[in-house]
Amino acid sequence: MKLTRPIQFITIFLIVFGLANLVDATTSSKTYTESFPAVVCPPTLAGLSSQISLGSTKTQFQRLQDKTAKTAAVKLLRLPVIADSLLVNSEVTTPVVWQSRAGRWGGAALCRGPVASQWFVGASADVTTRGRLIVINSGLSDSIVDIQAFSEKGRQQLQTITVKAKSYSVAALDSFAPGDQALALLVEPQSGRVNSFMIDEQGQGLRSIGGDLVNSVSSASKSLTIPAIPSQKPARGQTNSQGHTIRILAPGQVDADITVEVLSADGVFVPVGLNSRLISAGLVTEFVLKPEVSSEAFAIRINSTEPIVAAVKSRITASGKSDYVWSTPAPELSESTIAITGLSPLLVFAGDQINVSIDLTLVNGKIISKSVVGNNIATWRPPASARTLTITTVKKGNFAGAIVTSVNGIGYFPFAIGSELVKIEIPDSNIQVLNP
Amino acid sequence: MAPKAVEDKFRVVAVLVTHNGALWLPEVVAALGSQTRPIDFISAIDTGSTDLSTKLLKSARIPFITTESDSGFGKAVSLVVQTLPECETDEWIWLIHDDCAPAPTALAQLLAAVQDRPQVVMAGPKLLGWHDRTHLLEAGVSIAGNGARWTGLETNEYDQGQHDGNHDVLAVSTAGALIRRDVFEELGGLDPNLTLFRDDVDFGWRVRIAGHSVLAATNAVAYHAQAAANERRIVDVEGALLHRPLLLDRRNAAYVLLANSSGWLLPWLIIQLLGSAFARAIGYLLLKLPGYAGDELLAISTLLIKPQRILHARRLRKKHRFVSSRIVAAYIPPRWSQIRHGSEHVIETLRSKLFRHEQASQTSSVLESNEEDEDLLTPVRSNEWVRFFKRPEILGFLTLGLITLINSRQRFGDLVGGALALTPEGASDLWRLYFESWHQVGMGSSSATPTWVAIIALGSIFTLGNASFFVTVLFLTAPLLIMWSALFLLKKLTQNLWISIPAAFLYAISPVTLAAISSGRLATLVILMLAPIIATTIYKWETIEEISWRKIFTIALLLSILYAFTLMAFVVAFIGLIVVSISDYEKHAQLADDKLYANRLKKRAAAVLVPFLVNIPYSLEAIVQPSRFLVEPGIAIPGAGVVKTVLGDPGGLLPIWLVSPILLVLFVSLFSSTNARRMAEYGIGLLALATVISSIDISTHGNEASTRVWAGPVIALATLAAICAGTVLLDRLRPTLVLSHVHYRHYLAAFFLFTTIVYGVMASLFSITTGAQSLVQANRATVMPAFLNVEGDVKILVLREVSSANQSKIQFFISRGKDISMGDPDVAPKQTDAIAQAALGLIDGSGITSSTTLSDYGIKYVFAKAPIKKETIRAIDGLGGFTRTSETAAGVVWQVARETGRLIFKAENSATIFLETGIEGARTNLPSAGTLVLTETYNRSWQVLQDGFRLERSKNEQGLPTFKVEKPGEISLIHDGTIRRGWISLQLIFFVTLVVLALPSGRRKREISDKELA
Repeated sequence: MKLTRPIQFITIFLIVFGLANLVDATTSSKTYTESFPAVVCPPTLAGLSSQISLGSTKTQFQRLQDKTAKTAAVKLLRLPVIADSLLVNSEVTTPVVWQSRAGRWGGAALCRGPVASQWFVGASADVTTRGRLIVINSGLSDSIVDIQAFSEKGRQQLQTITVKAKSYSVAALDSFAPGDQALALLVEPQSGRVNSFMIDEQGQGLRSIGGDLVNSVSSASKSLTIPAIPSQKPARGQTNSQGHTIRILAPGQVDADITVEVLSADGVFVPVGLNSRLISAGLVTEFVLKPEVSSEAFAIRINSTEPIVAAVKSRITASGKSDYVWSTPAPELSESTIAITGLSPLLVFAGDQINVSIDLTLVNGKIISKSVVGNNIATWRPPASARTLTITTVKKGNFAGAIVTSVNGIGYFPFAIGSELVKIEIPDSNIQVLNP
Repeated sequence: MAPKAVEDKFRVVAVLVTHNGALWLPEVVAALGSQTRPIDFISAIDTGSTDLSTKLLKSARIPFITTESDSGFGKAVSLVVQTLPECETDEWIWLIHDDCAPAPTALAQLLAAVQDRPQVVMAGPKLLGWHDRTHLLEAGVSIAGNGARWTGLETNEYDQGQHDGNHDVLAVSTAGALIRRDVFEELGGLDPNLTLFRDDVDFGWRVRIAGHSVLAATNAVAYHAQAAANERRIVDVEGALLHRPLLLDRRNAAYVLLANSSGWLLPWLIIQLLGSAFARAIGYLLLKLPGYAGDELLAISTLLIKPQRILHARRLRKKHRFVSSRIVAAYIPPRWSQIRHGSEHVIETLRSKLFRHEQASQTSSVLESNEEDEDLLTPVRSNEWVRFFKRPEILGFLTLGLITLINSRQRFGDLVGGALALTPEGASDLWRLYFESWHQVGMGSSSATPTWVAIIALGSIFTLGNASFFVTVLFLTAPLLIMWSALFLLKKLTQNLWISIPAAFLYAISPVTLAAISSGRLATLVILMLAPIIATTIYKWETIEEISWRKIFTIALLLSILYAFTLMAFVVAFIGLIVVSISDYEKHAQLADDKLYANRLKKRAAAVLVPFLVNIPYSLEAIVQPSRFLVEPGIAIPGAGVVKTVLGDPGGLLPIWLVSPILLVLFVSLFSSTNARRMAEYGIGLLALATVISSIDISTHGNEASTRVWAGPVIALATLAAICAGTVLLDRLRPTLVLSHVHYRHYLAAFFLFTTIVYGVMASLFSITTGAQSLVQANRATVMPAFLNVEGDVKILVLREVSSANQSKIQFFISRGKDISMGDPDVAPKQTDAIAQAALGLIDGSGITSSTTLSDYGIKYVFAKAPIKKETIRAIDGLGGFTRTSETAAGVVWQVARETGRLIFKAENSATIFLETGIEGARTNLPSAGTLVLTETYNRSWQVLQDGFRLERSKNEQGLPTFKVEKPGEISLIHDGTIRRGWISLQLIFFVTLVVLALPSGRRKREISDKELA
């Protein structure tokens, strides 16, 4: 049998196959458009003052009410906000807003891009409250927003508000669950580019009890870590510390069985009574946490059988003034940049094994690298001249938050990304769209 | 002449009419002389014969007179009757043609039949063939509504007495007709206007309405040569234009119907006659008999342009009418009886195919087992049905049918999905798409609709015009049709059904078949069905000079169908043409036979290029849009890529473990010393081509994204080559294996069979389990909610996440308020860049000007089809210029804030008016001068007419057609379809010509031998 011809055929076939495969591999390409959506910072309500920490003086911003798309450079690294909410094109850097009422309270929050839902666990709706919910529509069309309140009495009536394009709406917190003490709110826009901020401010008569900007989480989860809870030792003459209040809500239909672990420099432990504790579904539950820890901050980790949302309220007295702060859960730490100009925060890292590399950019442009290593909890206070803090590498399972103190009060913000990189594959015209 | 034996009361005068009938006359004369009941008197007339007819009459001593050669039969008979003595009581005329020989008992039997039936005044014998005397020609005759001569017999019906008996009929042939003389004279004889043909039916009809009866007495027999009708002699009677018997026959048929029928039936009859004349003319043209086609048309037209002749005939008939014309209705065959005849023929053919062994087996059983006489009386037990189900082809088809039925469980209904768009219910919608010059798809398109749309519309005839049902049936029966066509080819490669049936079965469940069905690939299915049939005709591709030109055109016709579905078939054929021509060029160096190689090249080029012409203008457009050479009908969804292509899977959700042995078969067959090797070489070549094609990315058919080409059509051909090679290999290998000791060939064959069987089993299991979850499904919910179609033809930008190759991506298209239909993707326009930019802006939230852009293009709404990312909805909400109007389970709808429309008039004073339009054109009044903008793709055929003049047309900034209006008044917007109509006409001419060239030629009757006629 002549084998030459078959072998020739097979060889040619294999060559064609190889070349075709090569062409196939090299021609597959995709085109994307990448952008960081502008983040929204809250407006400054009457009697308050706000400053936004930014990463660059060239950061572009726009007042919410501006009808044009024109933006301007901030020219400052800490931008005072007179009244309006701002849209900031901060790109990869997440700005932090610090709000305060002079001599009474202070609070911090992240400026964030629009999100699908926001859970606020904090504040109350009783007679002491002066708190407000600010709902901002940064889009060019009207938006419809659902607000679902929960309290210690359970789920409240759903409220739906319409926010006009490029404007914001302010609602008193006591309107959501009048008279109730423990409040949790779910803000869920049906349409529009919406961000919300919660101001928790309390007072009795003319006396201020304190206040805070309550940070939000996007969804309930079965495991959450609140990484930075300030701990203050008992004042001289006092025997006990002031303690902390954990507020928890299981928003689903089923009761949640929770276990709270304290992560501190003294080790990891479950406080008495917080192991396998039952939380009734739909009811906002509060209980006191008084861990004996020696460090200035600690973290807690809550594991639950059902999705929950939670926050810890801590009262701190400094310079004779009393203020409180709501520490909220933080997402797992990832590579990110946060602007901290003028805040000088105490950074608290939590996790079983902490290993975080940080690049700190100072206002003069100098970059300092820092490695934070430890078990369970680690704290580090960057220098006051720090402008931005970049997490360059991080071990899995690490969380971080920051505690900010000022003459007006104490505040907290979690380490999270304010504006996620939106990578969109450029759409094509495709008639398949119209085929079932 | 024999002496009269008076046994009855009748006197019979035989009238013999001769005209150039010397060939048959001696036998006729002998037959007349040998009648058992002698003829009382015989007289003949010759109508100008130029042969020996008169001499023969003289020698037979038959008295005769002569007349002019153009005298008709009726006139000739009348002349003879006039010479006869006065009519006696019970005198009968026996009309004898010179080509009709009555049997010896014919007259006696005719007289016996009329003996006791005084109402019968005309009786005729059973007419049998002149050459084949068992061929039953007539036993009474009538006329169908379309003028056809109706005998009620099958073609070439064998006479075995099945029609025997005396039958009351409308008429009997004048050949051998016995007519009572008094009635003959009373009615004026045969109509002289009917010089030849149909005079018998006419006379019978007249006899009937005069209150008499006509009888076909089958005990009387005559043998008739039908010399005039069979063109055995020239017809030169008066009025026989061009001496054409068919023309005369058709004209006379129409004359008989129009002269005798009830007056109120005439309009319907004229329509029927004209319609059937046209239909028959087309039939004759297809058979390449233009003369007969002309006869058909000329016959009816020459009659209708002289209506006074018919009116005169009707007046004459009215005088002798004693009963209503409707009395003959019972003798006119109803339309269904013609249909029944046709269907009986089809059923009988089918039955003979299915039970082809029936006759043979019965015969053999009688011969072999019934040796004893008494056994002949024992009924033979027939196990035909058992044997029927044991036959391999029945087993194969039943198994495949069962698998297909289970596999198709999600496909009972209107199919959609994958590459297949929803088929419109009516074929008329497909025809409209095919003929229209402007398609309302996306921003509008004037692309030529591919020919396959017309083929599907044509195929819908089988489902009474329901195109959707036709497509469903096509997909349901596709595997069976594919297996049948493969078997048709494989039976020519092997006699062993146990090889050909499993091979055909494997072809029907090959990866390419499964993938084509599951992903809605019409072209691949058609190629899978037709390729084996084409292969049977084209197997002499390398020595094509042996194939006749008619066969070349048949191949071209079949290839035209393939090209109509995908021009990838043209690519394959063209490459085949080049490769073989190069090979011929090399051979020419050795054997310089210019004529041979030129002939080969001509024939190959005709086979390959003529179908390209038949598919114009779509095929011509492909030259400027080369991606069309690589596409299938429908939506461009990606193919599988190179690796799966090599394994015979063009891509269609088949699991990776379903590996076809196609490559193994081709490689093994390459080493064969049989024909399998040549087949494998073709298969390898095709598979290599498929591999190359599957590595190419194209943007086409309304999909701007680069999409990997589906190489299904080429893989189908490679699969067929593999199946053929494997069949030949096994067929030739089997005897070798049986006779030789166990060696490597045994192991190779065993491995070969093992892999094939494993694939067969796995593919069957896959088909009946997860294989049913195909992209193509029945009765899917529509994309567009019904409320978006309320406004009619409104443009909507639709955003939807489309998944392909395990990735999902938001894509967009402009809807006209509803989902797309079959054919729409094939004519979809290219993407408009500005709209694409606006859509991107909507999705990433940067589109501040998206609203303005969309309104410029007449887009009124944006619809985000659910499920879609919330971020996208939020991004659109965040953009200005859109008002959310609804959010349902179907998705979210925004209205573009700035008002827009299809036809926008901008007056000189800057006022903007949105004008009402129809689906395509518009007629409206304009209040002033200004500018008219049509928000459709620019095309030269868009025209606006005002006062009979065309307005100046230009493109605006958006590239939309704009017209300058100089003065107020009425305007008409049209899309001029003249060019499209011109192209279609040209295509039709090419197609009809090709069909005529491809069909076997018909023969004129004079070209058919007597033997064949018999």
